[in-house]
Amino acid sequence: MDYSKQIQEIASKLFAENKIDYFVGYKQNSFDDSQVPFLITDPAEIPKLVFTDRSVFNLANYLKPDHTKRKRVGLVVKGCDSRALNLMLTESQVKRENVYIIGICCEGVLNEKGEKAQNCVECVMPDPVVYDEMIGTPTGKREYKVNVDIRELATKALEERADYFESIFENCIRCNACRHSCPLCYCAKCCLDQETSTLYHGANTSSGAMHALMTWSLHLAGRCVDCRNCEKACPSHLPLHLLHKQNESVIYENFQQHLAGMEKDDRGAFYKYSLSDPDDFIL
Amino acid sequence: METEVKEAQGKIISAENPDITAPADWQPVIMGILCNWCSYAGSDLTGTSRIQYPPNIRIIRVPCSSRVDPWFIIKSLQTTADGVLISGCHPGDCHYISGNYYARRRFLVTKKLLNFVGYHENRIQFSWVSAAEGPKFAKVVAKVTEDIKKLGPLHRYKKENF
Amino acid sequence: MNVFIVETDKTGLQKFYKEIIGKFETYAPVEKFGKYDYKKVSKLDECDPDSPIEMTMSVKPLFFPKTAKVMKFREDNTGTTVSETDEDPLTGQRVILGVKHCDARGLQVLDQVYKWDYIDTDYQKRRENTLIISTRCDKAGTQCFCTSLDYDVENSDAHDIRIVNGLDGKIYIQAVTQKGEGFVKENLSQQSAVGSQQSLEEIKKHYQLFEASFRLKMNYSEVNAKLQKLFDSLEFETVSSNCISCNTCAFICPTCHCFKITDEKIKDTGVRYKSYDSCNNGYFTLMAGGHNPRPVKYRRWRQRALHKFVYYKERFGMNLCVGCGHCAISCPVNISIFDVVNQVAKI
Repeated sequence: MDYSKQIQEIASKLFAENKIDYFVGYKQNSFDDSQVPFLITDPAEIPKLVFTDRSVFNLANYLKPDHTKRKRVGLVVKGCDSRALNLMLTESQVKRENVYIIGICCEGVLNEKGEKAQNCVECVMPDPVVYDEMIGTPTGKREYKVNVDIRELATKALEERADYFESIFENCIRCNACRHSCPLCYCAKCCLDQETSTLYHGANTSSGAMHALMTWSLHLAGRCVDCRNCEKACPSHLPLHLLHKQNESVIYENFQQHLAGMEKDDRGAFYKYSLSDPDDFIL
Repeated sequence: METEVKEAQGKIISAENPDITAPADWQPVIMGILCNWCSYAGSDLTGTSRIQYPPNIRIIRVPCSSRVDPWFIIKSLQTTADGVLISGCHPGDCHYISGNYYARRRFLVTKKLLNFVGYHENRIQFSWVSAAEGPKFAKVVAKVTEDIKKLGPLHRYKKENF
Repeated sequence: MNVFIVETDKTGLQKFYKEIIGKFETYAPVEKFGKYDYKKVSKLDECDPDSPIEMTMSVKPLFFPKTAKVMKFREDNTGTTVSETDEDPLTGQRVILGVKHCDARGLQVLDQVYKWDYIDTDYQKRRENTLIISTRCDKAGTQCFCTSLDYDVENSDAHDIRIVNGLDGKIYIQAVTQKGEGFVKENLSQQSAVGSQQSLEEIKKHYQLFEASFRLKMNYSEVNAKLQKLFDSLEFETVSSNCISCNTCAFICPTCHCFKITDEKIKDTGVRYKSYDSCNNGYFTLMAGGHNPRPVKYRRWRQRALHKFVYYKERFGMNLCVGCGHCAISCPVNISIFDVVNQVAKI
């Protein structure tokens, strides 16, 4: 999967036609084979753009107002990234006319060890769902599978699970990189940032981390697209996907097989309801 | 999981974790978050009808059950509460037409996630209680209190000792 | 500089470590979720002190914890009473194994600010009661640039005892400070040959090989001189363009020392906490009334880069950055402070 040339061509065309102010792609790191996000305004830098199976970061994150405020942006998206972008469009965070989307039919990216990443093995939608230009051959939607780690943890006893999660929360340093790297965490003021509030406790304790991570994952439930940006950003390498995948599997099972961002104008699972939603857990 | 009350040497032994014990006269604290239009009025009716229910519940009134952010539940469980009961209008009766339908979705996911990270499922309970259902409210509170008594005091993920 | 050197081999070193772990409260790199962190250990096979490895955090949290209780308070009818926290002020001797020299240098840099206008007694106590045993890296990491900065890595006295894996197969335990010398004499039961000039040479040889393995090298004095005049450089905007304003770099940095104060209260009692904060956070400089002097990320990056390379040097005579490369490794988008300062200074 090497689409560097196609992306460079499209980017130079967009700059030549003055359709964009920014182009967001990937750049090769000089010291190893990993890649970093690359924001360019100057067409002279186009030859540095690459796209291979090392292009892991979700670039939809750069559409948050901090980065490219009201600018016209050309953007490279994979399947999962396009779902996030689709949700951002639905939730009116981005104007459709301001983004030129280069969708890539993704064949899966590699993790740090050089294996195919877990979320790519379990990917449900490798093709872009929203795009102006598509590169590659679409392979279509795949069957949803419950995450292997979730299945494994679900078989364990309650106390064992609790011990495991306690060790996760203990190792959290509360840097909030997970939140900042998530394209769907775009709130101007996050509820987890109100440090002086007595409702939310801002101290860096493990119970505070538990509160923050749980609240964060529940606010993203039904919207998370499983791009795993948070997990890649985490300096402590915490398996944050467990929280999101658990929510996703519950939502898929119970709410008409809802998967976030798959269709145009389809909002998160918590923004709609059905009269036949399960009711048996309520007294 | 076994939910029988085990009493040994005058102590309650938690059904969740046998290492956790409490004195026999230990009483749980239950956070009750009730919707203004149905359940709160329902609990009021319980009182005016002179129906007895356990005094373990501490009630907070919210405009609608969909006002309940998941962090209310987490925060309660982290501080003083041993369990949480959230109650709203019956489906179709919501004062705001569809609030409780939205809430129902959130509750299911919240309950499953909290169970996933290690809270016993009986610690987070939901109910529909209308303004006319005084006796039902008393029954619900009695059941929730009974369930949580069997589980013993909550130690997991509590705020660091003050 | 102290030249008390003991030659030993792998088993001798293991024995030394075991003895330390048995006697003192010992901290060493422990694996968790694929990365290492300094944790309390009770057995040698729990940890990996031999080779300093890629760490999540530096050694900083053992001196400046990620959260510390400042005080307790209680409200009642008579008013508010404030009391000391029940956290013990640390009296026993601590030993940290497998510290990297850059982390140890970081503590030396932190000392300057902690004994400056306000003397942080907790920090001082932790420093006094801790003995640092460092293991010299055999090879530089991809993001390391410690040898290019303003301190002498070879003759650093930031650690008390240094362990070098000599090229001749021997392991050298070198006491660098008086404290370290006393410690080795007391705790190394089986002293095999006190080292001579020859072993010093062997250590130097190892250092030369280590120095040659660096990918990143910079001209520190030039960078420092140029950056002093570059406050208005537009280059900061370019270098920070893909920063996502997460706080990772500051939290894992061995020398970042900003903190925030938060209160946690349950009913009438509460605790005041002091926890890490980061200047990369958009709210860091937000004032009551709504003014924010650093609202955009290039200004925050400018502050970060210049504080590390200019302001701290001006005030305390030490560079705040120690060249450990932690930030670049942990950064989600691989921004290295090395690249930032070099690009801005145009070297």
